[in-house]
This record gives sequence, C-alpha cells and structure tokens, in this order.
Amino acid sequence: MSLFKPRKLIEYAAMAAIWVALILLFGSLSHNFLSSRTFLTLANRIPALAVVSVGMTLVLVIGGIDLSVGSVAGLCGSLLGVLVLNCHMPFWEAVVLCLIMGLAAGTANGLVSVCLNIPSFIVTLGMLEVARGLAYLVTNSQTKYIGGAVEGLSEPVASFGVSPAFLITVALTIIGQIVLSRTVFGRYLIAIGTNEGATRLAGINPVPSKIAVFALAGLLSGLGGVFLTSRLGSADPNVGVGMELSAIAAVVIGGTSLMGGRGSVINTFFGVLIIATLDAGLAQIGASEPAKRVITGAVIVAAVVLDASRQRLATRLAQSFNVVKRNANTAAPTSPN
Amino acid sequence: MKLPRFCYPLVIAACAILSGCNKGENQPATGTSNTEKPKIALVMKSLANEFFSTMEQGAKKHQQAHAADYDLLANGIKNETDLAEQVTLVEQMIARGVNAIVIAPADSKALVTVLKHAKAANILIINIDNKLDADVLKQENLQIPFVGPDNREGARKVGEALAKKLKAGDEVAIIEGIPTAFNGQQRRLGFEDAMKTGGMKMVTTQAGNWEMEKANNVASAILSEHPDLKAILCANDNMALGAVSAIESAGKSGKVLVVGFDNISAIKPLIEKGAVVATADQHGDQLAVFGIEAALKILKGQAPPADQTTPVDLITK
Repeated sequence: MSLFKPRKLIEYAAMAAIWVALILLFGSLSHNFLSSRTFLTLANRIPALAVVSVGMTLVLVIGGIDLSVGSVAGLCGSLLGVLVLNCHMPFWEAVVLCLIMGLAAGTANGLVSVCLNIPSFIVTLGMLEVARGLAYLVTNSQTKYIGGAVEGLSEPVASFGVSPAFLITVALTIIGQIVLSRTVFGRYLIAIGTNEGATRLAGINPVPSKIAVFALAGLLSGLGGVFLTSRLGSADPNVGVGMELSAIAAVVIGGTSLMGGRGSVINTFFGVLIIATLDAGLAQIGASEPAKRVITGAVIVAAVVLDASRQRLATRLAQSFNVVKRNANTAAPTSPN
Repeated sequence: MKLPRFCYPLVIAACAILSGCNKGENQPATGTSNTEKPKIALVMKSLANEFFSTMEQGAKKHQQAHAADYDLLANGIKNETDLAEQVTLVEQMIARGVNAIVIAPADSKALVTVLKHAKAANILIINIDNKLDADVLKQENLQIPFVGPDNREGARKVGEALAKKLKAGDEVAIIEGIPTAFNGQQRRLGFEDAMKTGGMKMVTTQAGNWEMEKANNVASAILSEHPDLKAILCANDNMALGAVSAIESAGKSGKVLVVGFDNISAIKPLIEKGAVVATADQHGDQLAVFGIEAALKILKGQAPPADQTTPVDLITK
C-alpha cells in the first residue's frame, strides 16, 4: 500500500524529473549522449554504488552513519581476487566468502557501536582504516588481473542488454523499499530513527534491529565490492576509496534525513542515477577535472535544496488529492437519496 | 610508532644535545667517522601503492646484499597526498642524524622547505621519482640532484609504439593521472608528442587520478561520445586495466587499442593477449636503489652531485 501512496508516487516522479532534466541537459550539450550505449554504460556502472547506498539508507534511517562502506567494498573485492586467482576457488564459493567477510565487518561495526554505546561515526571510521589496511594486506598492495573468471556478473545478458548485477540491484532496491515501508522490522527502524527513547518505552528493544542494520550495510558493501571486481575484471586494493561520500550524497539527494526517521530506498536509487549520470555526462562533454568537481558539488547541494521544496510540494499535492477523494466519497453515498 | 605531537620538540632537542655531546667526544678522532657505515634514509610516498612497495623491497634487498656498506631506514606515508606526514618524516630523519636522505617527494614544491633544513644540517639529499620544482629550488638557492627516469621520453616511446598501429587522422583519447603531479604531466606531454608526430587527432584528455575505477568510468563515457575512437593512452597501468574493461563491456575489444605505463604484474596477461599494445618499465624496484647508489658515491666523493637519468624500457608483446 505505502509503496503506491499518492504522496510517494509524486515524490518518485519528482526525482525522476530531476534525472530526466539532467539527461536532456547533457543530451543538448554533447553529440552522442542520447544513445542506447550511454544508458547501457550507466546500467553497467551503478550496481556497486547502488547496493551500497541501499545499506546506507537503512543506516541513516536509524540515525546512524557508516563511513566504512567503501573500505569494506574494497576489502571484499580484493578478497575475491585473491580467492579466485591465488586459491583457485570456484567463483561462486569465493563470492559467498566475500559476502560473509562483508557481513562480519558490518556486524563488528554494529556490535561495538550499539552494545558499547559508541557513536557509529567513530566506530565505522575505525573500520574504514582497518578494512582498507586488510585489503592491502590480502593483495600484498598489488593490483591483480583476473579476467574472464569474474566478469560473468557484469556482462550484459544477451536478451536484456543489462548485466545480472544490474538486475540484482533493481531487485534489492525494491526489496529494500518493501522491507522499510511494509515490514515490522522496517517500521521499527523508522521508529528508532525518529525517537529511540520513545521506541524503548513502547516496549521495543532497539538493540537487535540496530545491529542488524549495520550487519546488512556490511553485507551490501561486500556485494558492492564483488560487483566492482567483476566489472573491472581485476582486484584493485584501492577500489572504493571515497565511495562512502558518494553513497551518503546519493542517499541524501534521495531525501533521506541525516537525522534519521525518514528515508526511501527507491529515491536513493534515483540519487545514485543522478550522481552517475552527472559523472558520465561531464566526462562525455569533456569537462576539465576542476570543473567536474565544482559542478558535481553544486548539483549535490542543489538537489538537496530541491528535495526540501519537493517534499513540501508533495505533501500539499497529496493533501489536496485526499480532500478531493474525501469529497468524492462523501458525495457518493448521498447522491442516491 | 607514532609519538604524540608534543614529543617531537623534546625528541629533536634530545637528539641535538646528544649529537652535540658526540661531536665533542669525537672531535679528536674525525678520521674514524669516515670508516663508520653511512646511514641512508629512504622517504617514500604511499606504501599502499604497489609501485612504492616494490621500490621499498628493492631497496631492502640491495641493503642486505651490501650490508657492510650502509644502513637503511625506509619509511613511507599512509596517504599519497598527506604532505604534512612526509614533512614530519624528513624532520625525524634529520633528528636521527642520517648521512643522506633519498626522497620521492609527495609534492614537487611543498617539500622544499624541510629539505632546506636537512641540507642546512649537512645531510646529502637525493631526489628520486617525482622531480622537485626547478624554479622553487633556484629561488631557495638549493641544488638537489635528481636521479630518475625521463617520464616524457618514456611516454613518447610508448606513444610511438602505438602510432605504428594507427594511421594519421585516427581519433585517440588520453587518460592522465592526477593533473597536479609532475610525472603525470610529463607522461601526458610525451603521449602528446608522439600523437602529434603521427598526425593523430586527440579528441579529449581527462583525469583518471591514477585509479582503475575512475578511469573505467571516464573511458566508458569517452567511448560513448566518440564512437570512432581508435586508441586510449593511459598514464599508468592501473588506469589501462580500467580502460580495457570499459572497452570490453562496450563490445569493442580489438577495435580500440590501449597503452599504459609502469609495467605492473597485472598488465602482463593483457600485453600477451594484445589488449594492451605497450607499456613502459622504469624499473620501479630499482629506482630507490639507483638513488641510494648515487648517494653512496657522492658521500665517498667518487661522483659529483649531479642529475642522473635512469633507463626506461619499452615493453611490447
């Protein structure tokens, strides 16, 4: 139900409109932006950032933050390379081990920050260092070329034109939204983010849910790392540096509150699309590196400003829609009399 | 080991006092100090970078083989751009009273001040890898010998190997490193020299910041925008790996050629396969060793403190 509330639909449409505006802008500025290749390239590059951002959305919803996602992705991606290349492990077994690694890192974040009551900012900052260090350790600081053995996940499936990684990402985004808005667990998360004390007084123990959120964020970062290694065909211990900031930007562009209690996984996905489109578009028109940075920063802030007014607009539109519906409902039974 | 910041002045003061005492004691026997093993400090950039970890291993191996000739103190910084940490390292090495510092500066200008202090403390300085800015050195009236490869010349060789497989008028793109890095700029210029001579059309030059994923994204966008592109020249091998996977996922394997620089181990299978046409080997494992050997010779008075160019080899299939 809540997936299709008019208010939500208006919000999704507004996010999509920002994205389309960006596409049209780059379409008019460059020769070949509006081509199927551009969109296939976009679909090919977003999975890693998008799945990491799903986890980040949940963490921000409970009022926490996870700075370790990029490093954990780097660690899991590197581990995948080492397992496949040096230990000759079959691809899928290696993937499972990498996901367990991500889950373990996330669980460690959750246990330390929740059970010992330490701000997640500092705990995950520590994990950022630990995981990156481990990534250098397992790869011996060397880039490893793997090639065909890992590329299957990121190669387009013939009939769809998009990669399995992209399909998994879309599925995870939808599942994430359903979990957040339609399950007891999801409602707990929003309650914890809104007012943790009140949630506890209402008889709900927030500890297991909070740990689970950090564990999930770690697991999804691990998956992001697997996607990265698969796309690049190589394991690079430096991969994912700074990814946490891109993920936070995508989530906040999507309207999730940094203070917790409010968020949408589908809008996060649009946030990722906007960031990726901006990056690809600026590269296609051949903007210089300083210009790219200035423009990207400005667009992030502008998107968040727009988001604030978008939410007010959506609330107002939804209210008038409800008024119309109520009038129609009250009018209907009276008409036969 | 990391000391709290307030300890540094204390440590430096303590060292100054101790060295002062030593001087007093040793003064009658200056002859003996010449027979002592020289202490050489190697100060590098990020050891997380394969290039510098190989460099460190090469230096350590060399020291083990020549253990009687010198002692080695090898240090690197955590983050490629953390200038302050590298400045602190040099200060520590001055405090340790080393005879020579062999340094790969994280920045070609910002390290000059602290190196001036080192020079004032009578320490021989050898510049490797990233060349210090000539203007700033002149302004400070410093002479620091540079021992290292000519990146521009190396990149030109790589570009020429590529040009042989292209014809005049073909579209090419360059993915450069961090635009502020001197060696990156030199490589870009070398690529441009070769492409201009060959008459190729350079459609765009963009920064990949030495990173594989960033180069992959940039290369994907360039391939979409320029469907007739024939080659991508990358300023290091990591970025070449990113470009190759971008070409593969665009379904253009074999139609767009790639070259790199550095000859890291991961690039070898791609050179074999023909996906990467050429790369340059600047003997990364030997770069620090060249610097150390130059320092030893200068300390012994066997060579004048002058610049030395080290070899860069072209690697093709």
